[in-house]
Amino acid sequence: MDEPECDDVLDDWFIESLKTYKDLYVYQLECPTKVIEWTSGRTVCVAGYGSSKNEILELRLPPKLFANENKGLCAERDFKVVHGGFTDGPVHCLKHVPGTRCVVSNDGRSSELQVWELGGEDSDVIRRTGSVAGRSVVSEGGSRIAARLSSQPQVLHGARSGDVQLTELTSGQPLYKLETDSADPLSSLQFVTDAVFLACCCNGNVYIADTRTAAAPQLSPPPVSSGESVLWWTDASSGSSCLDPTSCRIVRLSSSGQAVISDLRNQREAASQAQLDVQSHHCNLDDVTVSWAPALDGCIAVSGFSGAVQIYNTSVWRTELQEAQPLFQHRGHTVSSQPDDGVFVTSHVWHPERPRTLLSAASDGSVHVWDWVDQSAGS
Amino acid sequence: MPEIKVTPLGAGQDVGRSCILVSIGGKNIMLDCGMHMGFNDDRRFPDFSYITQNGRLTEFLDCVIISHFHLDHCGALPFMSEMVGYDGPIYMTHPTKAICPILLEDFRKITVDKKGETNFFTSQMIKDCMKKVVPLNLHQTVQGDYNMTPDRHLGAAWIDKCRPDMLISESTYATTIRDSKRCRERDFLKKVHESIERGGKVLIPVFALGRAQELCILLETFWERMNLKAPIYFSTGLTEKANHYYKLFITWTNQKIRKTFVQRNMFEFKHIKPFDRSYADNPGPMVVFATPGMLHAGQSLQIFKKWAGNEKNMVIMPGYCVQGTIGHKILNGQRKLEMEGRATLDVKLQVEYMSFSAHADAKGIMQLIRMAEPRNMLLVHGEAAKMEFLKGKIEQEFSIDCYMPANGETTTVTTNPSVPVDISLNLLKREMALGGPLPDPKKPRAMHGTLIMKENLVSSEQALKELGLNEHQLRFTCRVQLQDPHSDNDTLHRIYTHLKSVLKGYTIQHLPDGTVMVESIVIKVSSSAEDANTKVLLLSWSYQVKKTKHFSLSLLH
Repeated sequence: MDEPECDDVLDDWFIESLKTYKDLYVYQLECPTKVIEWTSGRTVCVAGYGSSKNEILELRLPPKLFANENKGLCAERDFKVVHGGFTDGPVHCLKHVPGTRCVVSNDGRSSELQVWELGGEDSDVIRRTGSVAGRSVVSEGGSRIAARLSSQPQVLHGARSGDVQLTELTSGQPLYKLETDSADPLSSLQFVTDAVFLACCCNGNVYIADTRTAAAPQLSPPPVSSGESVLWWTDASSGSSCLDPTSCRIVRLSSSGQAVISDLRNQREAASQAQLDVQSHHCNLDDVTVSWAPALDGCIAVSGFSGAVQIYNTSVWRTELQEAQPLFQHRGHTVSSQPDDGVFVTSHVWHPERPRTLLSAASDGSVHVWDWVDQSAGS
Repeated sequence: MPEIKVTPLGAGQDVGRSCILVSIGGKNIMLDCGMHMGFNDDRRFPDFSYITQNGRLTEFLDCVIISHFHLDHCGALPFMSEMVGYDGPIYMTHPTKAICPILLEDFRKITVDKKGETNFFTSQMIKDCMKKVVPLNLHQTVQGDYNMTPDRHLGAAWIDKCRPDMLISESTYATTIRDSKRCRERDFLKKVHESIERGGKVLIPVFALGRAQELCILLETFWERMNLKAPIYFSTGLTEKANHYYKLFITWTNQKIRKTFVQRNMFEFKHIKPFDRSYADNPGPMVVFATPGMLHAGQSLQIFKKWAGNEKNMVIMPGYCVQGTIGHKILNGQRKLEMEGRATLDVKLQVEYMSFSAHADAKGIMQLIRMAEPRNMLLVHGEAAKMEFLKGKIEQEFSIDCYMPANGETTTVTTNPSVPVDISLNLLKREMALGGPLPDPKKPRAMHGTLIMKENLVSSEQALKELGLNEHQLRFTCRVQLQDPHSDNDTLHRIYTHLKSVLKGYTIQHLPDGTVMVESIVIKVSSSAEDANTKVLLLSWSYQVKKTKHFSLSLLH
């Protein structure tokens, strides 16, 4: 059972990690997850994507991560499974409905959404409470979901630009339908304010719509790119930091590694762009994620191309396309797996408040929580 | 149907004071006898009144089995055996037997000397209790507080596919997903390194046994890698005794350690030197491992007093500290301590609590069940509301029943025990010698033997010999009258040919002494005295033969 070489690589990286990470936690789930979704400031939901039965778990992050003054006195470094349940199929998309103990999931095979109640203090079981029908029955690749940031539980969902719908959760009533002529497969759905949302398509089209009006959505075409038939992923810096929808920034990332930043108000002009060194090791790019840091101005995280999560500082990018190097790379998932396994990161999220804390999950079932050190700054 | 009854007396839906009563095969067994570390009154002991309201436990218990030496599994043992009263055997592994009394004595000293308790077991009671211990080998008993990942010095837990009727497991950590060992080690090394780099001194109070060795190996490797020069010291005394025990029990440790031990004695280190108390005053950075682990007395406390006032220094507590100890106080954030003679000590050094505890998480428990394949599962050591998901998980994945009884609540499962029987070689050889077709599941072949409930199935002769009995043969006879004008011999011959034609597959012989034998049935013909035409058939058979006899009798008629 001795694998000295693998141990050495681990040792090297771990020794280096004493300087490069403030905090580092490494966990192994029984089954890998494609989803990491915050359900509170200290809990996340993960779920398996195996073809039949899977587990959906609500995990509480280790208390030691949050202990500030008395960090030394807190020894607890483990995830606590606070609630758990069973699904009948894979979970490809999972979103928490803010203000509730409810999450909504999709299995990536159909347009139907499953509704779950996470449970409280008296029971540790997550129960299925219902489902939401998709606007159209057929859907390859499954539906994307976005939960509305308001008091009534509502979800925006759809698999293509032609079947996006806003549904009220308790009644199942559709409240709004996105009317477009196209049927482009979606890579994500995202609310930028209470009423304005983006329907981001894999071909790079981004529809900007307002649920309060019946007006046609605005269409922002993909940036000019060097590659042919590239796929695009999009993220908008939104939520509490973006009260005015017109001051939102959007990042679009292509499968060839081109990243373009633009203003929601002025889509035609790229504010800045860069060619990222994504080191794609495989062609199956189902789980690429690009996200703005909620508490670290101008930083984005990119994952899904390989076993690493890359952090880039976009504030130094220019309008002309140039190569950019990551500010930081988390290689923990690659380093702790066998070289031939082809481990890739399936998901990552930023902590909503702690500037440099992220969670990442990989195809081998590993989940890491890490707080990296910005070595370029004098911290 | 035989039943197994399980009743937790402590640690049923609760943490601490592990004590489980099992009734199986007509015997009553107590599994573990632990102390609850959170209470100071009777709640710290398991509730023995369930077994009997008054009096000694000896006649109610057939034996006690102690899984391992942690106080929440053995802390109440001297109380049970000497103060409540039990004189029967107490089973545990050899290392547990060696280590238990040390921990019990340590614990007793703190509780009585530091906290002034009176109703507690004495040193003599610990000794008397240990006299009742019968040590065993590992595969006769399974270690408690298991962990499925290998420690640096012990191996990972591993179990045969023994398919027990019941598997009892703790579930405290079942809802935990553990941070990797390497990350805990990383944190430890990071802290030590940071202190050393700023010129501070690091005190690591350790229990004599277990973690000390593991942390030494870790630091040794790190020092070598980073080419560090600061001295590392290891205090003598109890720790030497522990090392001595580890060397004795090297076979119990894991492969890697065993290998290095053969090449170079791993418990003797390159960078780590024995401590002398004068070194504590030396300037500059250093790391010291000192006993005892909870800073309640001895060398570690002395060093602590010297180093506490400097904020560059650090103390790393690697485990649980009992209430009343200095370790417990500083881990609770106390920064001013009252020492002997009313002196106060200002705690300015950095206090770090590192947990390297050895409990299995959710994955570990599922792995254990997968390996052992029990028919039923019982969970202890956890809160009911927090075990529902695990119970559902186990029931779903393995299709077995999962129970979670509270203290005093009995769980009963029925079993279907199979009794394995060995067959003596002589008996098998004899059966083979009889010839005929080999036994086949579709055509079973009856064989005769005598089962001695001592060991195995033997031939009757051997059984008789062993039991010292004489064999008695029973033979039955009957007479059948026939009207047949032929001579005796002719009649006999006719019977012979007739039987031969209808009884195919049976051994039929016409013997020269004037008898026909069908297998072992003897047939003789004689004429009646009164009438020569009346023939009398004498049939004789021994006790074993029944079927053939009926068959041939009916044929003859």
